[in-house]
Parts: sequence; C-alpha cells; structure tokens
Amino acid sequence: MIPLENFLILSGILFAIGLFGVMARRSAILILMSVELMLAAVSINFVAFATYLDGDAFNGMVFALFVITVAAAEVGLALGIVLRLFRERRTAYVDAADTLKW
Amino acid sequence: MLDRLPLPAQFDRIIIAGGTAAGLVLTPILLVLVALLIGDQISGPELVFWMAFTVIVIGALATVLLPNIVHAALSLIAALLGVAGIYVLLAAEFIALVQVLVYGGGVVLLIIFGLMMTNAQDDPIVTDGSQKPFALLVALLLGSVFVAAGLDAQWGAETAAVIPFRDFGARLFRDFMVPVIIVGVLLDIALSGAIVNARQPLQRDEKSEGSGS
Repeated sequence: MIPLENFLILSGILFAIGLFGVMARRSAILILMSVELMLAAVSINFVAFATYLDGDAFNGMVFALFVITVAAAEVGLALGIVLRLFRERRTAYVDAADTLKW
Repeated sequence: MLDRLPLPAQFDRIIIAGGTAAGLVLTPILLVLVALLIGDQISGPELVFWMAFTVIVIGALATVLLPNIVHAALSLIAALLGVAGIYVLLAAEFIALVQVLVYGGGVVLLIIFGLMMTNAQDDPIVTDGSQKPFALLVALLLGSVFVAAGLDAQWGAETAAVIPFRDFGARLFRDFMVPVIIVGVLLDIALSGAIVNARQPLQRDEKSEGSGS
C-alpha cells in the first residue's frame, strides 16, 4: 500500500509549482492556470486524508467536489474579467491593469 | 531534422517536438518502473503512482515555464489528467470522473477559448519581470516546508476507507444539502457575472442614438 506521505509530497510539489506560476508570469490566463494547479494540489490532500485517515472517506471527497465546482465558477468569471480587460487595454497582461496602483 | 519528415504543414512543430521529448522522458521511467515491478521492488499501485507523479510534475512544470500559452494549456490538461489518475488510486472514482469531465472538458476548453478571444501571443519568460528569482525562492521555500512537514508528521492509523459509488449522491444530498444549495447559488452568480463582464458594451449604440436625435 502506498504510504500517505507520498501523496502529501506530490501535493506540496504541485502547490509550489503553481505558486511559482502565479508569482512569476504576467499573462492573466497563465496565472489562472497556475491557480488551477494549486487547487488540484489541495484537492489531492483532501482526498488522501479522507481515504487514509477518516474511516468514512466521505467528508474529504465532498470538499474536493466543492473545490472543483468553485474552481469551474472561478474560471468562468475570471475569463469574463480577462476579456473585459483585453477589450479596454488591448492586452491580457496583469501589469496593464494598474489603475488602483498608488 | 523535423523539417525533413513528411508531415502536414499545419502540424505544430513544437507540439511534435514536445510530444517526442515527453515520450523520450517518460518511456525510460516506465521501463525502469516495470523492471522494478517485475523484480518485486514495488507493487502495481506504486507503479501507477510514480507514473502519475511524473506526468503531474512534468506537466505542471511545462505549464508554468513554457512561453507559448497554448502549449501551456495543453500541458495543463496532462497535469490535471494525472491528478485524476491519483484520485482513482485513492479509491475516489467519482471525483476522478468529475475531474476529467470538469477540468479536462470544461475548464481547459474555457481557457483555450479565452486565448482565442485575447491575443495569445508568446509570453517570453525573459520579460517576466524582476520578481522571478523572488518567486522561485518563495516557491522553493514553501514547497520544502510542505514536503518536510508531510514527512515529519505522525499520522494516525491508516484505514483505507472506500465509499461505494452509489452511496455518494444520496449521502451528498442528505448530509450536505445546504452547501449544495449555496454552491448552486454561487454558480448562478458566477454565470451572471461572467455574462455581464464579457458582453460587448453598448456605448456605441447609445452614442449613435444621441447624435441621431
């Protein structure tokens, strides 16, 4: 049987990669994709803990399901905002949206 | 070398090269894992885990590092399907199916349509700003903290619980009725917000009407 630690290590690596993408890229859509990677990492942790430690395995899976649902809603809404940004500024880079920057 | 192959002109050379590179990287790993499996060093589930591990890590790295956004989106599909494999390994078949349907089908399709609507120009990592070393430092630190914490902690007795597929929906709508309703409202609001944000503004019509009258 695979030890629980393997899943935790995979989740940590995936979260770190996604965090790097969020901080290092400029394209809004790439930042969105990196956020998806981070959410997938968190879902892996939820399901792994549910399967290995809960004894019932239901609550953690429901959390993963809700994470997937909210991620889908987030992507739809964020792409609408990116389209709006592109229409106003002719670019999809996040450093073009600096109206609120002091 | 690729130019001499009799390939259709519309084939994307970088996709072919990327697929070839991925095959060249993944095939030796698979061969080593199968050899270990035959030698009784690892079990079958562990072989699946390490294959999924390789696919996820390589796909995620390609997602955040490739300059072309379309290639990054294709790599994201690979990484998320690898995550679905991890869910199957964790006996969460329903989550795996939802992952393939929602991510592989919906989210990545939405992202690619978003790329079509905006200018999906190359985003060279050279121009990614001065925050890249800082981002690398923070990601490395946080990732090592996660890995160290996962290795160090003492967890309770492992149970390997499995929830039957057909109980899932009944228990979801019985035990989690209010969260399901709230998530439904959230999806509704997100859909309305996306429509309001993404639709064409009507200012031109109002202006022409104003000038006409």
